[in-house]
Parts: sequence; C-alpha cells; structure tokens
Amino acid sequence: MTMHRQKADSMETMEIKRPDQLLSYFRRELVPLFIVFLTGMIYNIGLTATPFFEGQLVQRLYDIIKGEKTIGTMFFLATLYIVIILFVQGARALKRYYVRKFANNTSRNMRHMLYNQLVHSSKKELNEDTVGTLMTKAVADVDACVEGMRKFTTEVFDTGVALVSYLVMLFLYDWRLALLSSMFTLVAYVIAEKMKTVVYRYHTAYKKSAENLEDATMDRVENAITYRVFGQENARDLEYEKSLTDYEKKAVMANIWENTLRPIYYILSMTGVVSIIYFGAGNVMGTGWTTWDIAAFTTFLSCFTKMAQKSSRAAKLFNAVQKAQVSWKRIKPLMKAYVKVDEQTEKVFGQRITLTMDHITFSYEPGKTIIRDLSFHAEPGEVIGITGEVACGKSTLGKLFLGEEAYQGNILIGDRELRTFSDYERNQYISYMGHQPELMSDTLQENIAMGGKESVTSYLQAVCLEQEVDEMPEGSLTHMGSSGTRFSGGQQARVALARTLYHKRRVLVLDDPFSAVDQKTEQRIMAHLRQMNQDSILLLISHRVTLFPTFEQIIWMEKGRCYVGTHQDLIRDHENYAKIFHAQQAGGDLDEA
Amino acid sequence: MKHRRNDIENHKKKYHGLQRVIMGVILRSKWFSMLLLFCMMGSVVFTLIPPLVLERVVDGLTVGASVTLQLAFLYFGTLVISGLLDAVKEMLITIFGQKITHGLRSEMCHKLSHIHASYFIQQESGKTTSRMVNDVDTVEQLFTQGIIGMGVDVCKVLSIIVVIFTKSRGLGVLLLITAPILFLITRIFQRKMLTAQMKNRVAIGKVTKFIPETIANIRTIHCLVKEKYMEDRYDESIQESYHAVNRANIYDSLYSPIVMLIRAVLVGTLMVLSVMNGQAQQFFGMSVGTAVAIIAYVGKVFAPIESIGMEIQNIQSAVAGVKRINELLEEREKPQMADEVQKERWIDENEELRKRVQMPTEAKRDNKWKEQMQRTTQTDEPRTSGVAFSQVTFSYDGEQTILEELSLSIALGEHVTLAGRTGAGKSTIFRLLLGLYAPQKGSIYVMGRRAHEIPDQEKRKIFGYVEQSFHMIAGTVADQISLHDDAITMEQIQAAAKLVGLHQQILQLPEGYQSQCKRELFSQGQFQLLSIARAVVADPQIMLLDEITANLDSVTEQKVLEALERAASGRTVISISHRLYERENNRMIMIES
Repeated sequence: MTMHRQKADSMETMEIKRPDQLLSYFRRELVPLFIVFLTGMIYNIGLTATPFFEGQLVQRLYDIIKGEKTIGTMFFLATLYIVIILFVQGARALKRYYVRKFANNTSRNMRHMLYNQLVHSSKKELNEDTVGTLMTKAVADVDACVEGMRKFTTEVFDTGVALVSYLVMLFLYDWRLALLSSMFTLVAYVIAEKMKTVVYRYHTAYKKSAENLEDATMDRVENAITYRVFGQENARDLEYEKSLTDYEKKAVMANIWENTLRPIYYILSMTGVVSIIYFGAGNVMGTGWTTWDIAAFTTFLSCFTKMAQKSSRAAKLFNAVQKAQVSWKRIKPLMKAYVKVDEQTEKVFGQRITLTMDHITFSYEPGKTIIRDLSFHAEPGEVIGITGEVACGKSTLGKLFLGEEAYQGNILIGDRELRTFSDYERNQYISYMGHQPELMSDTLQENIAMGGKESVTSYLQAVCLEQEVDEMPEGSLTHMGSSGTRFSGGQQARVALARTLYHKRRVLVLDDPFSAVDQKTEQRIMAHLRQMNQDSILLLISHRVTLFPTFEQIIWMEKGRCYVGTHQDLIRDHENYAKIFHAQQAGGDLDEA
Repeated sequence: MKHRRNDIENHKKKYHGLQRVIMGVILRSKWFSMLLLFCMMGSVVFTLIPPLVLERVVDGLTVGASVTLQLAFLYFGTLVISGLLDAVKEMLITIFGQKITHGLRSEMCHKLSHIHASYFIQQESGKTTSRMVNDVDTVEQLFTQGIIGMGVDVCKVLSIIVVIFTKSRGLGVLLLITAPILFLITRIFQRKMLTAQMKNRVAIGKVTKFIPETIANIRTIHCLVKEKYMEDRYDESIQESYHAVNRANIYDSLYSPIVMLIRAVLVGTLMVLSVMNGQAQQFFGMSVGTAVAIIAYVGKVFAPIESIGMEIQNIQSAVAGVKRINELLEEREKPQMADEVQKERWIDENEELRKRVQMPTEAKRDNKWKEQMQRTTQTDEPRTSGVAFSQVTFSYDGEQTILEELSLSIALGEHVTLAGRTGAGKSTIFRLLLGLYAPQKGSIYVMGRRAHEIPDQEKRKIFGYVEQSFHMIAGTVADQISLHDDAITMEQIQAAAKLVGLHQQILQLPEGYQSQCKRELFSQGQFQLLSIARAVVADPQIMLLDEITANLDSVTEQKVLEALERAASGRTVISISHRLYERENNRMIMIES
C-alpha cells in the first residue's frame, strides 16, 4: 500500500501537453515505441527464417540419405536453426512486452487526465450537462481506444511487415510462380475488403442490439419493484423476450459473417497452392521456370501458406484503427489541460472573523424571488438558527455560501465580499454540509479524515457516534460500504457531520444535520457543537426548532420574506413561527418530520 | 391438474437452473446437435489429410516422379473440405451458443417476476444486471470456446499423435514427452496471468466505482478542498491496476515465443536424430516426404494444445458465472405464485371446498378446513373497509420483528399520515399493502381482499403509489406515465399530465409525448411530478405517498405539493411523514417499534 502511494505520488507531476491530440500519447511513449519498432522489424523479417530453415533441414536430410552430406552438417544446421529462432522469438517477446507496456502507460495517462477533469468539474456541470454520464462512459472508451492503439501498433508490424517479408521471399525463389499463386491471395483480399462493409453493417446491428438488450435488462432489474407494484411484470417479460429474440438473430448473423467468412477467404487465397505444387514440382524436376531443390519447394509452400493465413486476418488492422477512432472521438472533447487548484492567496485563514449579510436578495429565475432583502451580522461563537415553512428557501440560503449562484447584495466575510474570493479561499473560510451525506466506499476513519492525520475519536464523540463505533468489531476501521450504505441513515448523517467538524472552518453552514437523529441525541450533539465552535460562526438550517431558544439569532423565512431576531422576538411577532415551535414541543421525541 | 404440476415440479427438481435450460435446448434441436457433432468430427479428420498428400508429393519428387495435376488438386481439395467443415462448424456453434443464452436469459427474466421482493431490496441492481448480461455471456463462451472447443482440440491432438506414431515412432515418443511439458507450461503461465488479471479486475472495479462516487460527492470534495486527495486515491487505484496489468503482460509476452522455441527445438532434435546411424535409424529414420509431413503435423499439434489451456481457463472462469446464475434461479420466490398458478390454486381450493361440503364428517376432523370456514365467515368488517390490518406481525429475516400485533383500519376516503421514527416500519406497511411481502401473523385486507392476493392486472386500479424517488424507465415520456401498460389510453396519459401540470411542457418537447425520455429533459422536481402522474393515471382508489427523498428547490416543491393535493382529492390517501403533504386535518397514526 505504502509503495503504491509513493508511486502514485510520483504521478502527480504528470501533465500531458495537448491531451486532446492522440499523437501526444504516442509522443510520450517514444522509448517503448522505439523498442517495438526495432524488435518488430527483427521478428517479422525473421519470420521467414522458420520456413527457410525447415526447407534446408529437409534438403539436408535428402542429401544425407543420398550420401552427399555428413551427419555432422545436420547437427550444425539444426543448432543454427534453433539459435536463430531463439533470437527471433526473443525479439518477439520484447516486442510483445513493450507494445503492451505502451498501451498500459497510455491507458493510465488517459485515465489520470480524465479524472483530473472530473474532480474539478462543478456540481452544476455534473448535473446539467450530463458530464457525469459522459465521464463514466469515457472510462470504458479509454479501454477501447487504447486497445485499438495497441492493435494498430502490433498489426502494422505483424501484418504489414510480415506480409511484405513473405512476399519478398516468394519473389526471390520464383517471381513468376509467386505472381501466379499470390494472385488468388490478392483476389481473396479484395473480396474481403469488399465484404467488410457488409460485415461491419451486421456487426453494428449486433452491437446496437446488444446495447438495447443491456438497457432492457437494466430497466427490467432496476425498476423491478416499480413494475411489480404497478402490476406490469408479465407485460415487461414479453417485451424482454422481444429484445432477446432480436439479439439472438443479430448475434448469429454478425458472428456468421465475421467468423464463417474467414475459412472461406483462407480457401480462396489457398487456391494458389495448386499452381505451387504443380509448377513447383516442375521446378524441382528441372522442367519449370527455374531450378529448385526440395528445400526451395517446401520453403516456398510453407511461406505461401503462412502468408495466406496472415492475409485472411489483414482486415483486423483496419478494424482496430476504426474502433480506436470511434472511441477517441468520444473521449477527445473531455481531454482538456490538466487542472490544479489555485492555492495562491494573500489571506490568512484561521483567524476569528465576522459574517455579515447585507441586503441579500436571490431568485433562480426573474420574478420568483426566494430570498428577499436579508440582513444580519454574526460574531464568532454565535449560533444562528434558520427555519421556515416547507419550501421556504432555507436550503437555498445555505447554498449561497457555495458560490454556485449569483445573488444581489453583499455577503461579507470579515470585510471582504464573498464573490471576490477564489474557490480555494472561499472553501478555506466556509464549511458547508448539505442534505446528502456524500460518503465514499471506504472506512469510517477515512470518510471522516479524508487523508488527514489527526485522530477521529474526538469527532466521533462530538456527534455521539463513539459508542456505536466501539461496538463494531473493526471500530473506526469499519468499511462503510458503497456510498456508506452499510450504515443507517442516522449514522451516515452523523459521519458526515463528523467529517465537516474535522475539516471545520470559521463559518459552518449545516443544512438539516439532525433530521435523522432523535431529540436527545440532537441536544447532546448541539452541546458539543457549541463547545467546539467558540471561535466559529455556526449557521444551522433546520425544520426542527426545539433547540432554537438557545441560539443567539434566528432567521425565520416566510413567503419570500426573512425575519431576523431572537427566539423571543419571533415568538412574539410571528404567529406561524410560534405555532411550529409549540407544535413541535408538544410532539416531543416522536415527532420526526 | 395437480398431478401435472407435480410432474413439472419434479422435472424442475431433477434438472435445476442452468442444466435444465441446456438440456431443453439440446432436446429441442436434436438434428441440429447431430449435425454439429458430425461437423466437429469431420473437421478433426480433415486436419489430418493435407500433410499426408504433401508427403506423397515430396516423396515422389525425391525419386524423380513428376507430380500430376490431380495430386495438386487433391491437396487443395482436402484444404477446401476442411475449411468448409470449419466454417459450418463455427456457424453451428454460434447458433447453438445463442440458443442457450436466449433460453437462459428468458428463464432469468421469468424468475425476476416470481422472485421475492426482498431480493430487489437487498441486491444491488447492477449485480443482477451483470448476472443477466455478463455471466450469461461467459456461459455462452463456456460452450462455444470452452467445452465444445476443448472436445475438438483434444480429438485433434490425440489423432495427430496417433498419425505421427504411425509415421515415426521416435517422434511419437518425443511428442508424448513434450506434450505434457508444454501443457504444464501453458497452465502455469495461464494461471499466473489469471491471478494478475483478477488483481487488475479488483483494481478496475475500484476505479469504476470511484467515478460515480466522485460525481455524487463532488460538493463535499470541493468544499473540503479534497481534489488532490481524490486524485491521489484514484491514481493509487489505477497504479494498482497498472502493476497488475504489467505483470500479466510479462507472462503474456513470454508465453507464445517460448512455445515457438520449443517447437523449433523439437524439429531440430528430430532432424538430427533422423540421420543418426544404428538403432536410432530404426526409431527415427524417415523419408524426406515424411519429414515434410511431420514438420507440418508438429505445427498443427501445438495450436490445439495451446487452445486447450485457454479453454480450461474459460471453463474455470465460467464456473463462477454459472454459480451466480444458479443462485439467482434458486432464489426464494414471492409469497403467492404468479397469477396463473394462483388461479389454479383458487380452483383447487374451491374444488376441495365442494368436496368437503359433500363429506362433512371428514371435514370436521381437518383443522385447515375450520380455518377456511372462519376466514370466510368471521371478518366481514375489515373486508369491506378500505384498508385493515388486524394483529399483523412481520419480520424481514425472522429475527428482528418490525411490526408486532399491529392493528389499524383506514376508511375509504380517509386521509391518513403514518408517523414514527426511521426504522419503525412505515415503509414496511406500504410494502405489505402492496403485496410485496406477506405477514407472518395476522391479516391485511385492502378493499375486502387479502393484500398479497390482489392479482397484477388489478393493482393499478387499487393503488396509486408515489415512490420515494422517481424511477425512470426505458421508453418515451408517455411510457413514464403508462409504464408501457396497453390498457392505458393516450387520453388518460394526457389527463394525468395535466393534473400534475406537466402537459404544456411535454407538448413543447420535440416529439411531445413520444419523445424518448432522458435525464436532461426534466428537473428532479418535474420527475417527481411524473411520478405522481404515473400513480394517478389508472384512476386508483388508494393513494400511497412515500417520503420524497429528492432535494427540491422551493419553487418546484410548491408545484409538487399542489399536484399532490389535486391527486389526493376524492381518494383514500396514506402518506409517510411527508414533508410536502402534511395537512392539518389528516389523521396521524403513530408507528412504534
């Protein structure tokens, strides 16, 4: 783990210039690519060594049987053959490794860049532009793209160079026979080229059907309960059966066109073998175009067979490139310059500071004002309760501190307007905790500290979670499950609160932190909050007001108007506030919502 | 009737899950299976022939006999037949594999309709989807690239070894020694690669989870300035994956070159031995033609040995998939059978009733009969009211009791709010009402019928369920409301949309109601409105309003509230501590655990 961490740290300086150009990624990997080039050339030219030496070995056997050569020469030849193959295959092993290393590096770099973009996207971008889904898909695309890049690099050598070497070899032995026999290979290749569009069409139809089926499956499973409670299960099953039938048809067709044709192409390109055997034998008999020995005959034949096999796979090169292009097209717009949090600031954080709201007015769309003309001032150590009727905009008020929306009026932290802060500065002054606990699938400890070194124990105490955690076998190292779902809603909310306190700033904005805890716990947590925040300002948004009498100031929101005062003031002046307060006091512990 | 069902059940027991589906496919297509077998055998035999023809050609050449055109065509002819058989075999295997996947997915989908509701609550939907998509695909591979392929390959290896034995006993022995070594090396490499790949898969799993989690928690990440921390953690995971892949790459790059080297060593050794004098001559001696044929055979025997290793791996990885599929197929089913079986049960019961009436003495002894009588006579009162729980005890797992002896009754037209803490069992009451679960003790009547016996097709007329959050289904905007229910007309859909105030907006979409529904079409609040439209479209008698979890802005909250009020009027309404639907004149029912 620590080793990985160190290595990961070494990646942090990694920035890719022009990440939106595919060439940048090739350029980064020049060393492995150079090795691939060198070994790829050696291997593919060396490929001809196998048929050549095997021909020579057979010839030597013939010569020895005829008594023209000694046994020792066979030993020498066989050893040479093995050594050459060792060299060629060694080059091949290196080529294979470096091609894969290149792909692996590139995949890591692309993912690294993508995640950097994601983590610096704003909530709004992620919500609205479906950047979220795009990002999720992009990660799958990285795999496809890199796989395509790898195959392209591989096939350039394994198909391109290999085909050329085989052809050169054939032409050296007998150019007329080479021409005659490889004509059929050419024909097969041309037909394969022509058929490619058909194959591609069936393949696309198949992929589309597979996608549909996956969507249908997801829909059927994810919404199973919905379909069940609305009595639609049987109808859905029939629909699903339709997708299945379609998928079966398309899959069979695509596979038949793709796999069944390959043996046919092979047969076609092997047609040349008739001429090789017939005229080649003539060459050996001395009645053909040139004079051959047995070695030449077998080498020529096996070279030709290998070439036919290769060329029936030549279409792969094209496919790999095309697939990579499609994936890259989707990733490209997401690949932007590496982003770093701008931490430059002249401000000194951590000092006691005041908060002033001066004539704040806010609306999402013109004409529908949600917050109208709110003004108040708070000193360090104060707790300000914010409440109102359902849908009054109290959460919106909290969100203004996130800098996500534009407001009228001024929010002053000390004497500086919040708008003028950089994201980094704002986040150094303000802690915000929303409705959602926003937990990670990690241990309890990591969820609170998020990389911090300080112990979490005192924060667990503060949110009254210590006892429950102690009872867990693994204590604060208990894994919280994906998005924290192994914990109950109340526990999740308290972990989130502990996390906020752990990273506490001078202004804390807590939106409904107690909605899932009972009143006694609420009281105890509140007492801890008071104790811990003597130097900070605490804005507490809540629909539960039983603790409000103990707060320094209350903001009561009603029909777009905001009223600021002490609890007594509001009880006296605002009938609805008083009504809610009394109703909740009477409701006692059981009242929850 | 009953007998036949028993037969089916027996059959189900004898072959369960996967086995049953496969047996079904094989039995249904007997001729097809025979043809497949024929092609497989033919393909094995015809791999053997071409080298034999080649032997004759070369042997002829060594003694100076010219090669006839017929012989050249014979060689080509065997290649053609072998190729054609391969093509047909591939095609049949594809079709066979697809038949199995289709059958399996149908079976699984059917199972979803019958599975106990707890399954959907406990299991992540992603996992189930992956079972139906990925695991079924591996089972297809188990057949196409596993079992069938292995059968063919084993036959190929064995028959080549036999042929080689007849040609050269010496080489036969050499091969018998080499083949197991080669196989062992193959397995070692594949196992090492598999371990590395598994590690990579775990790491990739983390990486993939990381992205949606980052998206969900983006606000917290920004607020706490944890961008760097998240990036480091992400990099740590991709680094883990990088190392695992690199490991796999080392083995992957080495394996094939090693095999080629072994082949060269084998051929070299053979050639040297073949020219030895004395005893070796007897053992290894051969003609030039045989040498050519044997080199061709050695080339042919290596490929299937390599594939067998891969096929074993395919089979192994499929085993886990098969297990997961069988787990799903054997999951507990819902309390009442599907409608069909249920009707049968009713008929059976009625028949039994009639019989019993004719034989009163026997009936008296039967306790079950007594209960039956009580059930029909005793509780007239709860059967006629809207909703009645009488002494209901319920527990999900049989250990922790959620509801104990709960009795409540809600009259038609009444508006009731269920209150109580989280975990008190409010949602459980909804699940019981909707028939997702059956109580262990006591009875639940809805409009005079047992809750879990209400047939699917009547559910929507009785319940309008507004879920906690909107479940978007695959389909058009209209489908969101109708849930693909053919019984619901376009007029009804539009009426429901008008009721919740979405009609105008839907009409403004490019294709109106027929627009494909996507996340970006509506805001969270508008989806909530769609959810209400979906609940009211079939004009149900009872509205069930679950707690709304979505975080809505205040303007839309107001709209949702109004829509709920319109939907509720004139109906029986049961709501769970609804933030938006708290009316003062509602009757409150406290649920305590």
